[in-house]
Amino acid sequence: MISIKNLHKNFGKLHVLKGIDCFIKEQEVVVVIGPSGSGKSTLLRCINYLEEPTEGEIMVDNIPLTDEANINRVRAEVGMVFQRFNLFPHKSVLKNVTLAPIMVRKLPVAEAEQIARDLLEKVGLSDKALAYPEQLSGGQQQRVAIARALAMRPKVMLFDEPTSALDPEMIKEVLDVMKTLAHEGMTMVVVTHEMGFAREVGDRVIFMDDGRIVEEGAPNAIFSNPREERTQAFLSKIL
Amino acid sequence: MTFDYGLVIDSFPLLLVGAVVTIQITAISVSCGMLIGMFAGMARLSKSWPVRMLATVYVDFIRGTPLLVQIFIIYFALPMLSGHRIDAFVAAVTACSVNSGAYIAEIFRAGIQSIDKGQTEAGRSLGMSWGQTMRCIILPQAFKRIIPPLGNEFIAMLKDSSLVSVIGFEELTRRGQLIIARTYGSFEIWLTVAFIYLVMTLAISRLVDYLERRYKIDDKH
Repeated sequence: MISIKNLHKNFGKLHVLKGIDCFIKEQEVVVVIGPSGSGKSTLLRCINYLEEPTEGEIMVDNIPLTDEANINRVRAEVGMVFQRFNLFPHKSVLKNVTLAPIMVRKLPVAEAEQIARDLLEKVGLSDKALAYPEQLSGGQQQRVAIARALAMRPKVMLFDEPTSALDPEMIKEVLDVMKTLAHEGMTMVVVTHEMGFAREVGDRVIFMDDGRIVEEGAPNAIFSNPREERTQAFLSKIL
Repeated sequence: MTFDYGLVIDSFPLLLVGAVVTIQITAISVSCGMLIGMFAGMARLSKSWPVRMLATVYVDFIRGTPLLVQIFIIYFALPMLSGHRIDAFVAAVTACSVNSGAYIAEIFRAGIQSIDKGQTEAGRSLGMSWGQTMRCIILPQAFKRIIPPLGNEFIAMLKDSSLVSVIGFEELTRRGQLIIARTYGSFEIWLTVAFIYLVMTLAISRLVDYLERRYKIDDKH
């Protein structure tokens, strides 16, 4: 589904990604962990080209990320959920969810609204369709953001620390939605510090440090029996 | 000396006609200026450097030269190139629009930059093009924020439009000059002209305050 070859990313002199090779299968849930500054978010943002790779090759669903048209095509197939939600504050919840399907997929309004209402129900917010983002709690906003991304019927969902900006009591409601998605077979790449989620839902855990993939494997293997010293050091601090 | 109220009362209707013309030229110029400014403001933020440079040259040239000189260039200098005289109204509106556009470009640029980058990223990550993201997400939010500086620009333009009197265009200031030429009532007429400008600018700033308050109430941020 996603193939990444020798991906490098520089921000000026800062070398953030130093040669990432990675392949993500359909329906796989990959959890990316690692210390801050290790390049996890940058890797995620390269997959839908929010960051332009300095070097390397990325293919999503066999579409190479080369020109502008391809990039927009890939973005329509790849949903993204941000740490800070990034809902559109001037639009109602319903409009947030229907905007892209109407503009990009050219769906008729009625159809887009039907899809949106179904998705809002799925994330438990069917009563908030006409509310504005500022009237919602962080957890609710993030669930709307997930619904907004799902409305494009994406083949892959990227989650960039989706619970890091949330109050503790709201983390679960967001993780529950993500678990449901995973169980339905959505291909997901999740950058997170929620190790419980990684263990329970992840098919594979990737540990990144200093712009490289240090270790990857099944969650149980990584968490109970990490081979690399750096992985051990990181896990001992957070588990 | 005595203040000739009769002169004020007699010339007031004529001056009001001039005031209407002043409002017209200001409204047309700021409207055109907003269109120019919106595109020039976006161009200032373009990824392509020729576009960016073109917009920067435009903004710098207009803001770095006096409006009066710009009016002279358009009314006197350009016709020498083309060989056709330009109508005073067309010249006045063109000069004011182009001038206003440069100031409004900077207002738009700042307004667009004030919107969180995450908004653009959210739009783009959903597959929306740059133009769609601008139109549906960034500009509507930026527009609310730039209402106060746009109001200031409108007031500034209303006052600066008095400069087009030099090419004989009969707005408020020019009307005043013409009446004085006939009646020698310099004192009465200039005070009346100033008073009419003041009433107009105060009215606009009240209107802008009102708009700003209204948008603040339903600002979903």
